[in-house]
Amino acid sequence: MNKRSIRILLWVMLPLSGILAAGIGSMPIRPWQVVAILAQSAGLHLPVSIEPGMADVLMLIRLPRVCLGMLVGAGLAISGAALQGLFRNPLADPGLIGISAGASFFAVLFIVGASAVPLLVPGNMLGQYYLMNVVTFIGACLTSLLVFRLSRTRGKTLVATLLLAGLAINALCGAFTGLVTYTANNDELRSIVFWSLGSLGAASWSNVLALSPFVLGPLLVLPRMARSLNAFALGEAEAGYMGVHVKRLKLWIIVLSTLAVGACVAVSGIIGFVGLIVPHILRTASGNDHRSLLLNSALLGAVLLTLADVLSRTVIAPAELPIGIVTAILGTPLFIALLMKQKKYLFGLAS
Amino acid sequence: MITVKNISYKIGGKSILHPMSFEIFPGEVTILLGANGAGKSTLMRVLAAEYLPDTGEVCLDEHLLGDYTPEALARKRAVLTQQFAVPLPFSCEEIVMMGRYPHQGQSTARQDRDIVTGCMREMDVEAFAGRLFNTLSGGEQQRVQMARVLAQLDSGHPTDTRVLLLDEPTSSLDYLQQQLLLTKVKALADRGYAVVVVLHDLNLAAQYGDHLLLLKEGYLLAEGTREEILQSALVSMAYDMDVEVVAHEDYPFPFLVPALHCRPNLLLNHKSKKNGTYTNQALIEE
Repeated sequence: MNKRSIRILLWVMLPLSGILAAGIGSMPIRPWQVVAILAQSAGLHLPVSIEPGMADVLMLIRLPRVCLGMLVGAGLAISGAALQGLFRNPLADPGLIGISAGASFFAVLFIVGASAVPLLVPGNMLGQYYLMNVVTFIGACLTSLLVFRLSRTRGKTLVATLLLAGLAINALCGAFTGLVTYTANNDELRSIVFWSLGSLGAASWSNVLALSPFVLGPLLVLPRMARSLNAFALGEAEAGYMGVHVKRLKLWIIVLSTLAVGACVAVSGIIGFVGLIVPHILRTASGNDHRSLLLNSALLGAVLLTLADVLSRTVIAPAELPIGIVTAILGTPLFIALLMKQKKYLFGLAS
Repeated sequence: MITVKNISYKIGGKSILHPMSFEIFPGEVTILLGANGAGKSTLMRVLAAEYLPDTGEVCLDEHLLGDYTPEALARKRAVLTQQFAVPLPFSCEEIVMMGRYPHQGQSTARQDRDIVTGCMREMDVEAFAGRLFNTLSGGEQQRVQMARVLAQLDSGHPTDTRVLLLDEPTSSLDYLQQQLLLTKVKALADRGYAVVVVLHDLNLAAQYGDHLLLLKEGYLLAEGTREEILQSALVSMAYDMDVEVVAHEDYPFPFLVPALHCRPNLLLNHKSKKNGTYTNQALIEE
């Protein structure tokens, strides 16, 4: 399939998956009813019968969740694709440079610490929730900043050192997270587990609004760096010879990816594999040209996470399966299948 | 065109390049020669503006290299290194298209495509356009990369300055491919390109070099035409081994061979560095 038809297909799938996902749940809403309700809120009356309460369920519960899923999926996937380009490694992942680990550590610290600070507890769940988003986001930024600083020598960022520093910080944050978890009580443990498995359950319009600048910004800016990332694939020095502002490129990619991933992790917890698998599917289907890859990744990430969330809501309804579990269970076999298909190529590289 | 004035370069207090000055002219193939560790690659990187010299300056068209924006510099000079690993699979056409990076906003997508096709035809790699770069042989990859640097230097104005820096371009090529590549390089020089090539093969240098720079341990030992540089005494000194220069009436260039017939032990034992520069004293004494 060529790049253009993939792009068109993804643009078609995006609203379709949204309408489908918004309709599935304990109160089923048919796709045309979804469209009718949306049209109604835009002042357009379609001749479709809508049951009472449907509009409220859709507008207040389902739609924010679909939008949140799309934003998180797009943010994680485009950051994954951009970081893979920067590290010149198709297996790089936003988690690799410490973003997720730092976010987890701060989130867990907050969950355990919040109950110790009396001021935060009194019933103000919403305030506490937003504060946690902020803290988590700060954690993500701090760790990736630290990793980035560690890998700088004489004004240059050494990509290999960046990966290794990321691994080290990951391990350290993991240990600290474990330490804090160890001291947690039962309630805190529940929230920690829930958070670390990822969920879109907290979706609300204010949430969607809070997240959107952090995802839409990178979504707009990262594709502009596509040609630089292409040149970067030939090597850092080579990209410099071709006129790429190498330093600036590295800085921007890392800042934008951290913003997107940090914000996504802050609202939805850790949702693994999206940043790794989505770009990988597209690389296999339509090659590595970042000019199409980056935006396609965002689109496919949005579609897949929306559909994964439908599964997470319906498989054991009325309870919810954490979406991180869904993405990992579905993603791993898919990823291994892709690896098998590409083995020949990867083998050729290694030998 | 490229003027190098008194440049030196240190890494961690150790001098890799001692002060040297020279010029590189368009229409000539300039060849950097010297033993391993003589500083050829470092000098190349200084010329490419990747390394900033500790002292002295490098000017391209009377402007300091550092005064160019990366894009402006990339439109005038391209670099081909031996770094070929492309870990993300790209097609050959996409690789050549990367060379058009510095021309963004200055040439249309259609012009870019035409130039890419033209350069691929010129390097005889059109047939590989849709193939993945990593599936090609070493020689084919080299040609695709050459097409990429040619695409990078095509500004649409044939009179513009164009500098091509090639770091050991023949190392992964067979005998025929080496000759074809350097013939191409020579043709580019004839078209007005300034070409600088790092070579290990003295005979290739003898065959294709117009202007030779001989380095030893970070010093510019000698600089000049083929006839001036490819002399037994100089070359022997640069490589610490006896080398003989042989002429053959059918060929307009000399041949260099290890002087095995008169000296079973190849190594020369002269290390006569005086006042930081080499003298020919040791050779004269012999």
